[in-house]
Amino acid sequence: MGLALIPAAFTIVQSFFTVQPLNPPTRFSGFDNFRRLFSTDAVISSIGNTGLYIVIGVVLSTVLAIFMAVTLQKNFFGRSILIAIMVLPWALPGVVEGIVWANIWNSNTGLLNSLLTSAHLIDNYQVFLGQHRLLTILAIEIVQVWQITPLSTLLIMASLQNIPNDLFEAAELDGSSPWATFRRITLPLIRPGITIAMVQALIQTLNVFDQPYILNGSATAGSSLTMQTYFISFQNLDFGEGYALSLLMAVATMVISLGVLKLVYRPVEF
Amino acid sequence: MRGRTPWLRRIGVLFIVLWSLVPIYWVLNISLQTDAQMSAKPAHYVPPTPSLNNYLSLLTGGGNVPYSIRQSTINIVIECSAATIVTIVLASLAAYSFARMKFRGRNVLFYTVLATMAFPPYITLIPLYRIMTFLGLVNTYTGIVLVYVSGFIPLATWILYNYMLSLPIALEESGQVDGASRMQVLWHVVLPLARPGIVSTAIITFIFGWQQFLFPLVLSSDISTEPLTVVIAALQGKHTVPYTLLSAAGVLAIVVPAVIALALNRYIVSGLLKGSVK
Repeated sequence: MGLALIPAAFTIVQSFFTVQPLNPPTRFSGFDNFRRLFSTDAVISSIGNTGLYIVIGVVLSTVLAIFMAVTLQKNFFGRSILIAIMVLPWALPGVVEGIVWANIWNSNTGLLNSLLTSAHLIDNYQVFLGQHRLLTILAIEIVQVWQITPLSTLLIMASLQNIPNDLFEAAELDGSSPWATFRRITLPLIRPGITIAMVQALIQTLNVFDQPYILNGSATAGSSLTMQTYFISFQNLDFGEGYALSLLMAVATMVISLGVLKLVYRPVEF
Repeated sequence: MRGRTPWLRRIGVLFIVLWSLVPIYWVLNISLQTDAQMSAKPAHYVPPTPSLNNYLSLLTGGGNVPYSIRQSTINIVIECSAATIVTIVLASLAAYSFARMKFRGRNVLFYTVLATMAFPPYITLIPLYRIMTFLGLVNTYTGIVLVYVSGFIPLATWILYNYMLSLPIALEESGQVDGASRMQVLWHVVLPLARPGIVSTAIITFIFGWQQFLFPLVLSSDISTEPLTVVIAALQGKHTVPYTLLSAAGVLAIVVPAVIALALNRYIVSGLLKGSVK
């Protein structure tokens, strides 16, 4: 635990110092690190990229998780095997998921290009990564969504399991359509589960690293803030600036998490 | 609703199966082909002449790439196993103290442990690197395992704490009446009862260890400690390693967590829920 708290304190204090191994000594420099961050184009564009990763990732993983959780709500033959299959992508390393999906997005040999061509939807193989910013980020974020959706699904399933069955039976007796039941009963009552799922997705997407690093290298088209922290600290060897960026990201994580909590969470009682 | 919406569920079931398995099928498919076969347009949806050549050259071949894949597999197994064992031992002790003992500062300490879970993990990346440099532990198993343990202990403690709280206290009390010490009660009564919780926590910790990339990328500087994830990323970055071989390496890195996830799924689900609900 000391190994988590002390470094965190370190980060807060040293983000106001110039810490560069090639330019000693360590000295106080006020907001200099922060000023340099905001005058670096790569950092500015990464802020936008990370914003897109967050929005796409949180929305997509939450919608998919609700869909999967509702599918798995009731007991049916093969349900436990299906849950095991659903959990599978969660267990795999992000790096390997990058390799796996690189085979799908690839512009020369990828599965998607092949399928789209076979279906006569495109005439020539397309480039999905690295050319168009939004497309690049969408393709990369789908890979992360693949990894984080299983946990969201489990969290929402747990919330679903808490809803008493009489509510659904009463709705059915009253002639409520499945869609109306979902809108009026299921969705409001799983808000606690959705909240936790969204917060975990937020933390993961805000810190996304493995997938863009593997799929897009250091190209700025899809580079994330964690990638910038890594480049600034371990390639430019400017630890002070790296600290400053880590600190800003931690603050952003907490502020946005609280925002999600306020916006989505409603206490539920049965 | 009985019988009224099976078509919707059928779509859901089909979606879950395709979504989870197609990407994995595809990497397997590529790994069983030759370079020439992989370049076909449209692609071969099943390997035309399935061959284990890529795997054989990684597992038994000479040269730099197979060597680094083999060495980094040994590294990742050592690092994950050691981190899991140390985490479970420390977290069991911590969880038991928090769940069953009263001592000064317990609540403060407990909430501090929990609070560290809310930190984005990478806020500690640079300081941990500098601490490890200072201690001379960069590029050592000890350094990597220490960093993993520090990252995994909060969640492991939290899962085990919730599990131990749900155990009946009566057995422990009768143990104490019979004159057993705290450690004897923990060893002979609590830990056997908590075994499913410990298994869950160990599996989740091991899988988290297997997924690590940025921390070992920073903390390892050569093949003596680099885990499989770091080596695969480096091979991919070079653009000289054929995709078929890279896919085979990817499959090797997937096998262990995939088998664990499919075979021991029950423990993962219960552990993750114990660790996040409330």
